[in-house]
Amino acid sequence: MPELFRRLQYLLHRRRLERELANDMEAHREMAARAGHANFGNDLHLREQSRDAWGWTWIDHLLQDLRYAARSLRKSPGFTLAAILMLALGIGVNVAVFGFFNLFVLRPIQVRDAQSLLRFHRRGTNQYAFAVPYPEAAFFRQNSRTLASVIGVNSTSVSIEGEEKPEEARFVTGNFFRDLGGSSAVGRTLDPSIDEAPAADPVLVLSNGYWRRRFAADPSVVGRTLRVNNRQAVIVGVAAADFSGVGGALHDPAFFAPIVQQPYFVEGSRLLTDFSIESPGVSLWGRPGPGVTPSAAEEELRSLAVELRRQYPDSIWENERLPSEPGGYLSAMVTGNRRGTGTEQRDPIVPVLALAGSLTLMIFAVACGNLGGLLLARSVARQREISIRIAIGAGRGRLIRQLFTESLLLAGLGAAAGVALGSTVLHALLAYAGAPAWADGSPDWRIAAFALTAAFGSAILFGLTPALQIGRQRHRANITRHVLIAAQVAASCVLLIVTGLLGRALTRVAFSSPGFEYKQTIAVSSDLARNGYSPARSRAYLNALEDQVRALPGVQSVSLALSPPLGHVTITTGTDVEGHHVEFNRNHVSPEYFQTMAIPILRGRALRPNDRHVMVVSDSVARSAWPGKEPLGQTMDFGERFTVVGIAADVRNLKFGATETGAHAYFPIEEDQWPNLTVVARTAGVPQELAKAVAPAAGRLNPAIRPTIELLSSAFRERMGDVELVALAVSILGSLAQLLACFGIIGLVSYAVSQRTREIGIRMALGAKPGQVLAVVLRRLVLPVTIGLILGVAGAAGLAQFVRGRLYGISHLDPAAYAAAIGFFALTAGIAAVLPARKALRIDPLRALRHD
Amino acid sequence: MPSGALALLILRVLRADALHGYAIAQRIHILSSDVLRIEEGALYPTLQKMLLKGWVTADWGVSETNRKVRFYRLTPAGRQELDDQVAAYERVHDAIQTVLRTA
Repeated sequence: MPELFRRLQYLLHRRRLERELANDMEAHREMAARAGHANFGNDLHLREQSRDAWGWTWIDHLLQDLRYAARSLRKSPGFTLAAILMLALGIGVNVAVFGFFNLFVLRPIQVRDAQSLLRFHRRGTNQYAFAVPYPEAAFFRQNSRTLASVIGVNSTSVSIEGEEKPEEARFVTGNFFRDLGGSSAVGRTLDPSIDEAPAADPVLVLSNGYWRRRFAADPSVVGRTLRVNNRQAVIVGVAAADFSGVGGALHDPAFFAPIVQQPYFVEGSRLLTDFSIESPGVSLWGRPGPGVTPSAAEEELRSLAVELRRQYPDSIWENERLPSEPGGYLSAMVTGNRRGTGTEQRDPIVPVLALAGSLTLMIFAVACGNLGGLLLARSVARQREISIRIAIGAGRGRLIRQLFTESLLLAGLGAAAGVALGSTVLHALLAYAGAPAWADGSPDWRIAAFALTAAFGSAILFGLTPALQIGRQRHRANITRHVLIAAQVAASCVLLIVTGLLGRALTRVAFSSPGFEYKQTIAVSSDLARNGYSPARSRAYLNALEDQVRALPGVQSVSLALSPPLGHVTITTGTDVEGHHVEFNRNHVSPEYFQTMAIPILRGRALRPNDRHVMVVSDSVARSAWPGKEPLGQTMDFGERFTVVGIAADVRNLKFGATETGAHAYFPIEEDQWPNLTVVARTAGVPQELAKAVAPAAGRLNPAIRPTIELLSSAFRERMGDVELVALAVSILGSLAQLLACFGIIGLVSYAVSQRTREIGIRMALGAKPGQVLAVVLRRLVLPVTIGLILGVAGAAGLAQFVRGRLYGISHLDPAAYAAAIGFFALTAGIAAVLPARKALRIDPLRALRHD
Repeated sequence: MPSGALALLILRVLRADALHGYAIAQRIHILSSDVLRIEEGALYPTLQKMLLKGWVTADWGVSETNRKVRFYRLTPAGRQELDDQVAAYERVHDAIQTVLRTA
């Protein structure tokens, strides 16, 4: 230890100690000379030998190498700029994607001690649900000893005075802010002792985002009353901007309110007492006490569930467990309120990011290939310089190290530029998506480590090879070049094919019929639940409204649906059928729905009034659930068994996402769904006029209820906007890769030409024709390009296979997409190869032969 | 000269008093009856290593030729090291001698 300490001191006082050493040795020489002993050693070299003992010479060498590298990079700004640009692009797009991955999966959310937070789901013998009925959660909160805190969160859509669209309210247990460490920007947060007391006043804590958006961050809102669902409540505070809370993904709700007040705001809500699976329930979060493991907490919740089942045998499942997952990450939040039987499938956030990541990795590969080509070409250009340095005594190891240092310097600069580019893109995307302030995409150590790893990885891979070749004064550049070409061709081929597949899938979404009538249809949502209507009263109102609308001129068909197409609500249900998992959008509709939406019934029959325990499934559900079997008469288990009575044609919600498989199942309306139903109507006339006529018709029924009337055609256009955006992003990536690959090929071919100037000159002197000269240059490209194409097609097919199960409308063997991508690639690569190859034709044989 | 021997000799000649680099070389040269000749290329790297190990320290002084130069002086750790190394050397030397005499 003291030796290490002294060594460090030598590093710190290097200059002084070096002077002292030099003085010692000088004195030695003087005295030796006086005594008549001449000493002819190189004193500089001797001094360096002595300093070696300190063990710090590598720093000197490194600094020397860095200085030299910086100088030589400055001397060829074109090369330097191109290399840094390549790295910045390659690393930048990956940093952007990794940034999202980081934000969702790696980085803990902005609450106190996020790592210890757990999220619980429900699981029975044959059932699962992500939501937990509130009374069950409350029972856990009251009785758990292993959990230091139990937090329940319910999201409900509400109407706030002065807002046209419904807003999200987050109803939370009173300990939400206290136990998650959320402070307030102004006023106070929720306090369990005040806000959960009996007869507490209804209060709201605004989210920071809503406070800024609606009230322009005015601190005087505290103490004001706000009408929510026509109920008064006092704003007691605003949540801090850096508090993410739990229970939502990349957005803030309008406000947080104590969950015990939910029935006050939502008339007729049985959230607090309803044990049944139909209850919206809460997402359940917990934090184990000190020294308690998650499995101990799970074990305790299991025994508590057993205890609770004794009181509520119908509502608590047999063998109910509450498995946990780490809750302190955004990825734990995006699992929605899904339920079903059998095994659940997780939400596809990680696979989607993995797909994006593998596409951007291809861009990285192409960029690396270009970098390798640049370095290779440069190494040839520097051959003379290197030879001179070797001739005057530079050691081979030192030379390799120096060249390698140069690559590392490039990598560092490239990484910095890449992080800057990537986080700019990430910020822009987050801002575009309207992400709240706490969703911070700025680079942290993980992003820095990622970028540095990528940069140094590429520098080692592509900097070391040329360095070693130069160091050995031996050139096997041909093989390296061929590998580079093949890798680039393969990577850009994968990108082109996959972007082609995505592009075609998107076009299909955009230009093919969605499978239902949207141009002539309107949707009327009355939000009866928010107006305090009971199911029976809702039924009477909606039946009357249906009659009113049916009587309007031009109306052809009117019906009811729980989740109309292109709406904001989609319910995803999963179940196990004969051992495999089937997932689809669930809708509850009145019998006339198929007529209104013009969805053909392919086989069997539509729903009938007073049907019970029957379902109509879409074609793709039938095919995936019972492949090769007669689907009519089959049953599915949702706690109760439902019999398939009809097969409807597939319809699509036009969301470019995971659940978009065209899979739908239609069930009869259940009694408690009436307040949430939407009236859909199709007209023979102009839908705008029907929309205008509906409002007064509804006003005649009850002037207090002002329904939201939406043209499905405009909802359709809105959705298309999103699809077009994805298509744009995909095609930008594809063209970027193609552009990079072309640059790479141009560079490598012109390098090949410059290397073979003399040979070409001789051939021309001997009478070779231009075509033959071109053939000589290009012939050697054929093999690597072919290998690259084969690898690329295989890679793309593999990736497409992976994507197919997750994104709608992608077929993994779409010959047109493959042919188009390969054709386009061959064309551009051909042009990129011929352009520089033409240089070979302009070679003057005389000059070429004199060329050294 | 076997490696490590130079350090041992330097430790030994520094036991009596502090010396500068040239004097160390001279002292070893004279004491070995002109057999051992220590070059700068060996002496100074070895001295640097000994400084790092803490066996010697260097202080400014004035040489007999009236020149400012550093004098190397044994530390207690160096003295201990000298004793250890001499003991080890003698043991090995005796063993070799025994083998040479009896074999």
